[in-house]
Parts: sequence; C-alpha cells; structure tokens
Amino acid sequence: MIARKQPYFRRLTLAAVGILPLAVFALGLYFHHPTRGLPYHDSFANGKADEWTALGGTWDLITGAIRNDSDERGAKLLAGSGYWRNYSIEADVMLLGPEGDAGLILRSSDEEEGVDSYRGYYAGLRSLDNSLVLGRADHEWLEEAKKLDLAQGGINAFQWYHLKLLAYDCQIVVKATVPSQGSVTSIAVKEKDCIKSGRVGLRSYSSGGVWKNVVVRAAARKDLVAMLETLSQKEPVSVQPSIQKPAFLGSEPATGNERQRTPGSSTSFQPIGSLRLFPFSNTQFATVRGVVILTSPTLIVQDTTGGVSVPDAAQPPLKIGDEVEVYGRVHPGDFSSTLEDATVRLLWARSPMPALSVTASQAATGAFDANFIELEGHLRGKHYGPDNTLVLDFDAGPEAFRAIVNRGRGDFFFNEVKLNSQLRLRGICVVDSRYTQNLTPFVLLLRSVDDMKVLAGPPWWNARHLIAVVIGILILALVINFLYSRVEHWRLRAVADERERLAHEMHDTLAQSFAGIGFQLEAIRNGVPGNLPVVHRQLDLASDLARHSHEEARRSIATLRPPSLQSGELLTALKRCALRMVEGGTVQVVTSCFGDVRAMPLRITDTLYRIGQEAIANSVRHAHPTAISVSLDYQKNRVRLLVTDNGVGFRQEEDLRGFGIQGMRRRAAGIFATLQVVSAPGDGTLVEITACLPPHVTVLSWPHFFWKNLTEHQTNAQEPRGQHQNSYRG
Amino acid sequence: MLKNPGDSIKILIVDDHPVVRTGLTNMLGTQSGFHVIGAVATGQEAIEALKAHSIDLLLLDLRMPGMNGIETLHAIKKLGLRTRVIVLTSFETDEDIYRAVHAGAEGYLLKNTSQVEMVDAIRAVSAGNRYIPRHIASRLTERMMRSDLTTRELEILKMLAKGLTNKQIGRALEISSNTVRNHVNSVIEKLEVSDRTEAATTAIQRGIIEVDE
Repeated sequence: MIARKQPYFRRLTLAAVGILPLAVFALGLYFHHPTRGLPYHDSFANGKADEWTALGGTWDLITGAIRNDSDERGAKLLAGSGYWRNYSIEADVMLLGPEGDAGLILRSSDEEEGVDSYRGYYAGLRSLDNSLVLGRADHEWLEEAKKLDLAQGGINAFQWYHLKLLAYDCQIVVKATVPSQGSVTSIAVKEKDCIKSGRVGLRSYSSGGVWKNVVVRAAARKDLVAMLETLSQKEPVSVQPSIQKPAFLGSEPATGNERQRTPGSSTSFQPIGSLRLFPFSNTQFATVRGVVILTSPTLIVQDTTGGVSVPDAAQPPLKIGDEVEVYGRVHPGDFSSTLEDATVRLLWARSPMPALSVTASQAATGAFDANFIELEGHLRGKHYGPDNTLVLDFDAGPEAFRAIVNRGRGDFFFNEVKLNSQLRLRGICVVDSRYTQNLTPFVLLLRSVDDMKVLAGPPWWNARHLIAVVIGILILALVINFLYSRVEHWRLRAVADERERLAHEMHDTLAQSFAGIGFQLEAIRNGVPGNLPVVHRQLDLASDLARHSHEEARRSIATLRPPSLQSGELLTALKRCALRMVEGGTVQVVTSCFGDVRAMPLRITDTLYRIGQEAIANSVRHAHPTAISVSLDYQKNRVRLLVTDNGVGFRQEEDLRGFGIQGMRRRAAGIFATLQVVSAPGDGTLVEITACLPPHVTVLSWPHFFWKNLTEHQTNAQEPRGQHQNSYRG
Repeated sequence: MLKNPGDSIKILIVDDHPVVRTGLTNMLGTQSGFHVIGAVATGQEAIEALKAHSIDLLLLDLRMPGMNGIETLHAIKKLGLRTRVIVLTSFETDEDIYRAVHAGAEGYLLKNTSQVEMVDAIRAVSAGNRYIPRHIASRLTERMMRSDLTTRELEILKMLAKGLTNKQIGRALEISSNTVRNHVNSVIEKLEVSDRTEAATTAIQRGIIEVDE
C-alpha cells in the first residue's frame, strides 16, 4: 500500500512544483496587469474612499464629493495600481479659494509629501492666471499652460469644472470643460521619454478643492484619436513636440500672494489671548485676526497668542489655513474665549498653522484650549459617535483624552487601527464640556483621519495573545505527550513482538530438542538390561536432567510471552503464575494486597510482573518451600512487591550472583526501583521491590510530570543495552 | 505376556522436529505392546500414512509448518477414520487445549510427561478412554466458560494483531469500517479485555491466533 502511495505522492509533489510557479506567475500577471481594476468609479456618494491614500491635506467626504479644505501646497490623494499604463481619468473639480490650483494626477509613482514630490503628470485649473495647466512632475516641475477663454470669466472658486486627462503611449491630452457654458479648452503634448505607468491622484495647491465623479478608464488608440478629434473640431490644436522647460520653475505662482495682501477696512485688532481678560459683566465687541484651524463642527481661529472659537458666525466659505478677521461679541471663558454673533471676513489664504507639540498633561491644564496641538497617546477604545463621527479614547500617562473626527473616509482606518496602538494626533484641543461631557479633561477635534498616525502597533503581550500563546503551548505539549506515549507504545509493542519471535524460536529448537533427547534417553534405558543398576541410575539422572532442561526452556518461553497486564490484574496474574509453577505440589500460595489499587504505567506493571515471576520461579526451583506469599502494597507515590517463602534459603554472600538475581536487579534499575533480597540458610527468602509511581496527574502538576517523563525517557535512552539483555533473559 | 504384533497398538508419530521423532520412536519402540508404524514430519504425510496403513493411535504435535496439528486433526476426523489421537505438544495454552479437544483429540500430553505416564495414557486412549491430565483439564474448563469467536472475528483479530487499522481491515475484507468496528468491539467483549491492543496481545498469549514469522 505504501509502495503504491509513494509514486502518487511524488506525482502530487511534481504537480505542485509545476503549478506553483505558474500560480505565482499568474498572480504576478494579475497584479501587474496594466488594466487591473479598470474602469474605476469613485464611491464618494456612498461615503467610501478607503482606497485613497492622502499625502498632506485634510481630505474629507462631504455630500458625495471629496474635499481638501487645507491650504497646504501640493496636497495629494492617490489611488489605483502603479501598473496602469494607458488610461484616462476624468472628474468634476472645484477650487475652494483664489490663488491656487486643483486638478488630477496620472501615471504617478514615487510620491512623497510636498509640492512636486511625485513622478507623474498633472493637469489642473489655476486661478492665478486663469490657465489650464498640464505638466510633468519628477520632483521638479515642467509645465505647459494654456490660458482659458477669458470671456468665460476666468477660473473662479466654488464653480464646477470638468477635467479629462488621457495618456496613451507618450501622448498626454487634457481637456477642461466649463459645464455651465460648454466651452472647452485643451492641451495635447507628445513626450519623448515619457513616464510609462502609474496610479491616479487628486491634487490641490494652496486653494484646496473638491472632487467628484472620478472615473478612470482604460484607453486605446481610438480613444486618443477621438479625443484629439473633438479638440480639433473646437479649435485647431497643434500637438506639441514635448513639454518644454517652462519660463518659471515649479508650479508656485511667481506673483505670490502679495497682490491680495491688502488688509481689510478694519484697522485695529487685538491678540486673541487678550480676549480672556475682557470682563464678564458688560458686553464688549472685539476684532481679532487669525488663521482658521478648524471649520467643522465649529469655526476656530488661532493666532500666536491663542485660539478663539467662533460659533454660528456669518462667514464666507472658509478653509483651513485661511487668514481671517473676526468681529464679534466677546464671551470670555476660563481657558479660551468665544466670539458670538461674529462676522468673518476672509483676508487671504495662508499656509496652515503648524501644530504645537505638547504632552497630554499640558493639554489637560487647559492652557492650549482652542489651539492646534500635536500629541501622542495610546488608543484605549473606539466607537461611533453621534452625527456621523468617530470617537477614539486615548490615554497618555495619567491623562485620558478623547479624539473626535468626522467619519468621512475614516472607516478603513477605524477598522484597521488596533487597540493599545500608539498614535500621534494633530487636532484642536477643546476643554468645552459640550465635547468632553466631563469625562476627560479635554477633547481633540481632528480635521480628518489623516491627522492620526500610528506610531507603533499594540504590544504583542496583550491578554488575548498571552492566552493564545498559553493555549498554543498547552496544545503543543499535549501533542508532544501524545506522540511520546505513541512512541512508547510502539516501542513496547516492538519489544513484545521480538519476545514473541524469540519464544517461538526457542520452542522450535531448544525445547523440542530437550524433549527429543529425553525420549531417547528413556529408550536407551528401556533397552538396558535390568542387571546393570549403575547404568540405570545414570540414565535416570540423564532423563531427569533433560526433563528439567525442557522445563526450564518452557518456562523461559512462558516468560517471554507478553503478559499484557493492567495494574489491577498484577496480583492475580502473579498468583496464577505461582499456581501454575507449583502445580501438582503441595506448596501453598498466599496473596495479599494493601492500599488502594492504582493504575500504573505499563512499564512498571510489566517489570513488577517479571521480577515477581522470577522470584516465584526461584523459590519453586531452588528453595523447596511449603508456602509462598506474594503481597502488593500501594502507597502514596510508590508501590512495593514482596515475595517471601519459607524454603531452605541461601547464603547471601555466596549465592547473590546466581538465581537470576542479577537479572531482577537489572530489570528493577530499568524502572528506578530498589530491589532487596534477604535470605539465610534455613530461614526462607524475601524479595522486596519498591518502585516509585508517577504522581497523580492533575492540571497543576502536569508540566512537572511531563518534564519528569521527558528526563526519564532520556535516561532510559542512554542505557538501552542493559534493558535488552533483560528482555532476552529467561 | 508378549502379545502377537497384531494385538499391539499401532502408533504413528507426527512431529516436525527430527530429534523428537527419533527419541519418541525409540522410546515407544522399546515398550511392549506398542508398535510404532512410523514417524512423519507433516500433517499431509500423516494423512497419507493413515490411508495406507491401519493405525490405532496418532501422537500428534500441534505446531508444525504447513498443516498444523488442529488442521490435521480435522482432516483425520473428516476422513472418518477410527484412529485415536493424542496431542503431544510442549504448548499448554488454553486455546490449544480447547481446540485440540474440540477437534476430537482423545488425549492431551505435554512433551515433558514421564515415560510411565505417557505409556499409561496411550494404553488408556487406545482402550477407548480419554486421557487428559488434571491441570490441563482444569484449564480446559476455564476456557470452555468463555464464548467462542466467530470465523470473521478471528480473521479480524489476526489483522488487528498485525497492526492494521479498522479502515485497512475493512478494505482488505471488503466490508465497511463500521462493521469492522462492531466486530472488534465484540472481540474485545468476548476476550474480556479493555482495548484492541490488549485484545491482540491476549489473543496471542492464549494462542487464539499465532504470529506469523
């Protein structure tokens, strides 16, 4: 059967070896396929954007679109496969402020946080010079820009534009449509050493932006031709030979922000920190200037002296990083103030405020109320809050705090982040009890999930892991124990088989020969005349010897036969054995048992039986007793077997070497038992063997027992020869 | 009081061991009233000899290569011969004794039996009596108390002793492993043992099955 199995397994292995590289190859093909996952449609409308990765910016899902309301320059959101080659991406794009641009990235790779820190093509709408821009970023910027028709009123914030960007081989085409007017502007370029493949992205520069209906499709040559044709119908397009080094490097507008940096009408404004000093009693109004650090759920403005929250203000659309002027009624608070019934005026866009790095203890003092801070903490809990928010509980040292973030595209992060991870958070510290609910000293309002960064996962030694490890070790130990007992079982079985074979052999040779010789001697004696008494006597002696030898051989065979004993049967078996040996005689056999009969390992039972058998046999053979007593005494962790007779006894110093006592000793040593033989001529013989029993195995004592078992096994393995000799002794 | 050869007991010895054959032939040949017709080594030869000669008594060994003693005994009884049989063996397992008597042996002797007893036994058996020594008789009754295994159970027990699993036994016998399990359970019950390993060792020990070399 095994012989038949082997080629089968070999075939199976061969097949596996053959299939495995194929499978790996196919898998590789699948993942490297230039159109895997195409066409792609966004699911912003369903509130899902888990496939997108942000590099900078505060990306959030709002009414079926994705929005970055930070002024960060070169904020990117990326998705797709790095192996996409020929494809088009289109989307509706809206700018959230003046002096910036927003658009689409294609064939992108090697992305980092930063303005032009990626390798790919970008097409966007730039409000600064009312242009459609197409360019190549390779950690520097090469661009081709084209002015939009000014008759359309240029590029305005809060207006939807439709952008389509297509790349086929080394031809890149972009088309911008103003849906309200239906006018189209486009650029087509042909590059020499173009970027061949990469993923898609959304990108905004300084102004922030909103994107929706993002669709990515695989493109063929006919798509390129079709797109070029539609272009040529609208206007004659000359396909550019390649992207030229532009007049100005980088996509940063050369004119900068100075143009609009004309302050508004109000002339005097106060540092925000001073609002707290306003008296509670009388109503006073104040004007402050600061940078927007949070827009939702409430507007918070911060300057270098502190932050102020501006609830329910009359405000233009604002994004994070906008510099604003706020005028309102001062409501001083314990830690920060509030400006009520405020009017907000947008001054200009600016880089977002950097976060202030503080500890949780510092934040808990309230000194950083309404400030943009950064701190670290361990995640202790997470749940969904009201109004579609995610609530995460942290602690840092002795302080506990809570972070609240709009659900937006946070689902993936929320599900992935593990409890007890260490996170770095950036957000607005709020001590207002509306948020803290007096559960924690402060709450961190995050602008988006991108404000959380996992620094380290949870430690491996949490309770669940430890339990799993312990269970694993237990299972392993059980398996090892099981295997050990199996091996032991096989070993015993092999020994038993070998003994059986030996017994067979002895029967066929020794015993038969003795029997035959006995018969032959009888025959000779029958033939010897009766007047030769000496010969008769000698022949009688000879047949007695032969019969005796036959007897011995038979006894050896019987000893070799496996007894297969349960410990409970040990005494019965010994009694039966004794009765058989004294058969026909007048020897009395007495057995007795003390203590509670316990289950014993097979080895011990077997050894006790063999030694007992030998002792009884010695008694019957040599001592000529009238009574043999066998007693078994079970004690707490040992068992004692006592075989005594009232026979002739022997002189210890002379005869200890004989009578199979050496064999008994060797057997006893095999189970670490002590053997004692006491005898004196005319005084009978006492054979006592005391063997240690393994303790009762309980759950608690199990490992100890297991270890002992192992070491015992090792000791046994070191002296196998002695044992074998035992086995073959008669 | 020498009888003529026609009145002497005609004996055939069946034993595979040459020393035993020679010794026994010589010993019995010197006894008056016995006539050893021959000594053969196998059951097959014994049957042929029985057909060829008129033989009163067969001294039959149990363990022989090829056709063993019990099988030979069955074959002789099938032939309807009136030859009486004494099993002469060095084995005294319960099962051997039981099966020999069951198969129709009129006597059971161990090879270490003294000449006097052996001669008595042969005389007694050839005179139409049974001869079974006391201690063998006691073991026979012990064995009679236990129920018999069926042929199928024996077959399964043999495979079990070779270390085959239920599934492998089932495949070899073309029965389901469930049936095998039922048989094994009834074997365990009949042998009054606690598990299958013990069943195998006990069966070997009692001589219910033999271990092939």
